[in-house]
Amino acid sequence: MKSVFIAFDQVYTERVIDLLTRLNCRGFSMVEQLQGRGSKTGEPHYGSHAWPSMCSGIIAMVDDSIVDTLLAELHKMDIATEKLGLRAFVWNVEKYI
Amino acid sequence: MSLYEGAVKRPIMTALCFVAVVVFGIFSYSKLPIDQLPDIEMNTVMVFTYYNGASASDIENNVTRPLESTLNSCSYIKHITSKSSENVSVITLTFEYGHDIDDLTNDVRDKLSMASMSLPDDVQTPILFKFDTSMLPIMMLSVTAGESQPALYKILDENIANPLARIPGVGTVSIAGAPKREIYVYCDPAKLEAYNLTIESISALIGSENRNVPGGNIDIGNESYSLRVEGEFEDPNEMRNLVLASRNGSNIFLSDVAEIVDRTQERAQETYSNGIQGGMIIIQKQTGSNTVEICNKIMSMLPELEKTLPSDIKLGIINDGSEDIIQTVNSLAETIIYALIFVILVVYFFTGRWRATVVVSVTIPLSLIASFIYLAITGGSLNIISLSCLTIAIGMVVDDTIVVLENVTTHIERGADPKQAAIHGTNEVAVSVMASTLTIFAVFFPLTLISGMTGVMFKQLGWMMCIIIFISLVTSLSLTPMLCSKMLKLEKKPGRLHTILYSPIQRMLDGLDRWYAGLIDKSVRHRKTVALLCLGIFVISLLFLSGIKTEFFPADDNARISTTVYMPIGTNTERSKSIANYLATTWMKRYEEDMKVCNFRVGAADDNNTFASMQANGTHIIAFNITMVRQSERHYPISQVVEEMRADMEALPEINRFMVRQGNGMSMGSQSSVSFEVYGYDFDETDKAANDFLTSIKKIEGVGEAYVSREEYQPEYQVDFDREKLAQHGLNLTTAATYLRNRIYGATASYYREDGEEYYIKVRYAPEYRTELSDVENIVLYGSAGNAIRVKEVGKVVEKFAPPTIERKDRQRINTVTTIVSKGAAMSDIVAAGKQIISEMELPDGVSIQIAGDYEEQQESFHDMGVLALIILLLVFIVMAAQFESLKLPFIIMFSIPFAFSGVLIALGITGTALNVMSLLGAIMLIGIVVKNGIVLIDYTNLCRERGMSAIYATTTAARSRLRPVLMTTLTTILGMIPMAVSHGEGAAMWRPLGIAVIGGLTVSTILTLVLVPVLYCAFQGFEIKGERRRHRRKLELAAYWAENKGNMIRNKAAKISPVKK
Repeated sequence: MKSVFIAFDQVYTERVIDLLTRLNCRGFSMVEQLQGRGSKTGEPHYGSHAWPSMCSGIIAMVDDSIVDTLLAELHKMDIATEKLGLRAFVWNVEKYI
Repeated sequence: MSLYEGAVKRPIMTALCFVAVVVFGIFSYSKLPIDQLPDIEMNTVMVFTYYNGASASDIENNVTRPLESTLNSCSYIKHITSKSSENVSVITLTFEYGHDIDDLTNDVRDKLSMASMSLPDDVQTPILFKFDTSMLPIMMLSVTAGESQPALYKILDENIANPLARIPGVGTVSIAGAPKREIYVYCDPAKLEAYNLTIESISALIGSENRNVPGGNIDIGNESYSLRVEGEFEDPNEMRNLVLASRNGSNIFLSDVAEIVDRTQERAQETYSNGIQGGMIIIQKQTGSNTVEICNKIMSMLPELEKTLPSDIKLGIINDGSEDIIQTVNSLAETIIYALIFVILVVYFFTGRWRATVVVSVTIPLSLIASFIYLAITGGSLNIISLSCLTIAIGMVVDDTIVVLENVTTHIERGADPKQAAIHGTNEVAVSVMASTLTIFAVFFPLTLISGMTGVMFKQLGWMMCIIIFISLVTSLSLTPMLCSKMLKLEKKPGRLHTILYSPIQRMLDGLDRWYAGLIDKSVRHRKTVALLCLGIFVISLLFLSGIKTEFFPADDNARISTTVYMPIGTNTERSKSIANYLATTWMKRYEEDMKVCNFRVGAADDNNTFASMQANGTHIIAFNITMVRQSERHYPISQVVEEMRADMEALPEINRFMVRQGNGMSMGSQSSVSFEVYGYDFDETDKAANDFLTSIKKIEGVGEAYVSREEYQPEYQVDFDREKLAQHGLNLTTAATYLRNRIYGATASYYREDGEEYYIKVRYAPEYRTELSDVENIVLYGSAGNAIRVKEVGKVVEKFAPPTIERKDRQRINTVTTIVSKGAAMSDIVAAGKQIISEMELPDGVSIQIAGDYEEQQESFHDMGVLALIILLLVFIVMAAQFESLKLPFIIMFSIPFAFSGVLIALGITGTALNVMSLLGAIMLIGIVVKNGIVLIDYTNLCRERGMSAIYATTTAARSRLRPVLMTTLTTILGMIPMAVSHGEGAAMWRPLGIAVIGGLTVSTILTLVLVPVLYCAFQGFEIKGERRRHRRKLELAAYWAENKGNMIRNKAAKISPVKK
């Protein structure tokens, strides 16, 4: 079991959730309003006057076998619309109840 | 969930909400009445007081003055004017606008009851009269008749006037120029004397013979019968056989001493239409009823009514009040359609997408239709103001939508799907959209607070604009995002046709962007030069100021001319008629194709003609009503016709003075007048001053006509009875005077009844016995002993002059010189010339001249609008300061306002349009419109600064990115106004100055704003950075000083605190 943290421009929300559903990843937690900026090129998403857009974040608990597919799909999505910004990071889940 | 999120997520609900608004709007539209102007609040109350037998100066001293001083204490009084003439005093109270006239009338009534105590005993109770726009006739019909002329009154009264008066909403229907039937008993004075008879005895006899007397009831057997004596004449000729007296066994019949003539009134007003005698039917409406509706009903009834008339009577239309209104409304509707097309083209030109164009265009009809709901709820009407308001609004309602659409498109181009792009794109700009809408509110809301003549127009305009702009704001935040989410999509491959058509435009726009960014880049590096250049343009524009003339309201061409001609007092109807005929034929010949109806009335009006008795009438007065064909089909402009008519009348020495009015005679839309009021008690002095002034002002160019209000002394014959001699014969003055009156004016003996109508039977001398002064002198009076005396034995007939009507204003005697401003001249010139003349005149003590008339109203309106402009400036500043949370940025943006005024001046100067209330309104509107451009620019520049760009780079970036939205919103407003500025339809003259002012102001201001605002922004940023550096340097210097002297200072301080230890 892995934990995937996906940070993305708000406008992706529906598409990301659709993707998770399609890949049968049922469990996730989501923060709808999230501020942040990319490490290299990513525009800040502050919800301010200068940077009005906002991010959302999803932490999804995914079976090991699906992780690669999920990342690949997300990457495809990101490349298609580079200007919006979408990143995913994967952790190990040590324990859970 | 925010408004836009909800709207995007629930498209059906959103769409249907707006459908509901449209349906309700269209329903309201179908219910809206059509009218010329919004309801005008009335501010005039008149007080009529009759005091029979009193001369003008008696009336002035005993009636007018006491009443004036009491009425003066009424609240909100602006002016009291009065006319004291023989027998009657008319006081007109003009109140400040904006107060309930009913309350004011009650106040006046209270004051009157207080004042009536101090009036002479014989004065009748004062009558209150509220002036109302419904007094103006809505329709005038001309009637021409051949052999039916003698019976015309009865025919018209029964067949036309009565059926028309039954139409709901029709007030009074008066018939002019159709004399009534009267039965005259023309007596021969010599025969009367011979038989020892008098007019009085004949009149009393006719009265007692012409009666039906009920004699009670009588029971015969079982039946009850009523008993009657039926003596009423069935034919006027029955009177011939009335026995006046029996002398020596033979009877004297009426036919022996008099002739019975069944004819029309001796003296009556005559009416001619296009040279043919006939009558005129004047229709007035009831207050609050709808002109167009009534006129339509009348028009539909006329053909049927005409069938009931004898074949020689023809009806024609002199003036149809609804025609003007319908023409105006149609020409405005045309303007709206053009404006709509222009705006849609601009949107397509800039966006290059039909989908975007549709999204933006939908807002226009929605906002406009929604405003009909407001009109229906508040009881408004479709009129010049409300329709013009729609034209003004068309260009402005799309602004918010454009901003939202532009941002959503940016999101879609970045890759967001339309639904998300719509929500987030709208979210980002919602605040700035609201702020820029607020600036428009800041402009139009204060307009609702104006009162007065200008208030009539601006109140509705203010409310309408606020409503329309509010609806457009709501639409842009709900319907627009919804439509964007449904209609917009990322265009991956443009269509071929589109590429061919649009790519040149695209290239041009791209080039413009680049050129502008380059220009800004250069300008911000040469800030002083640019600032000086702009200042130079501003100064140059001020040079136009000297060439711009001022007026009150623009004169409109509604194809109608009314003219009143005054011959010398005492001119008889025949003479007046021949002059009138001469003028009418001259004009009809000259403007053969252009003149539709040339109608004139001449002679004294009958008392029961409501319309005519309210207007000046008399044997020496001719009143013309001329209708020309419509402006577009005419060879001459109306102003030229008016000038030529004035010249014609000037050339006739018989004419004393004349007034030619173009338009309907109301102060809006007709030619402006300037009045010079000569105040002073002494008649001779004020007459001289007024006439001197008149001679000088007439020489001034631009004075169309000028006349003095005070009439000449009226020549008349008076019979001065010697009271002692009268008393010797047992007569008193009243008896003697009654004898005179009965013989000349006639004694009403009785009524002749026929078919339910009553006609006067008048006994008087036959016309041939009252043509000379000796006829009056030889009138026989009978003393108490029955002895005959001639008038010349007890009195003298002398020629005298009756003093004219005494006019007063604000409790001082006044004589007014009125000047009409002719075409091409401006009120300001005449006022200046008048002031010059006044300063050169040597006025006697107690005489002063003041300027009034439209000039006074204009000054008041201009002052009101000045105050309004200040309030609006302040409000706009507050809105911007709140949005930017800064005092400096609004200040920079407001630099675009002076250039809007430059633009207005330049546009007015070039087109030769005068500065009037309408162009000033345009200038005031500009305050709100031009700052919007500044807001858009500064807002984005700020954003770039916040993103960390340098000041210069930020301004250049913002300039390049915001050029298109700024141009787009500005062009929609300008092009929306163009149909208004160039239109020549009916009623267009009124709004042309506004269109010209807005177009000029907005063009100049936008061009300069686009350069000056970035430059000033950079300059202020520069000052700020310099200031910060200076502050930082001082801080560093202070810190260094502190570090250096810290030890000493601490030591010194410690020493001061504990000096004892030392």
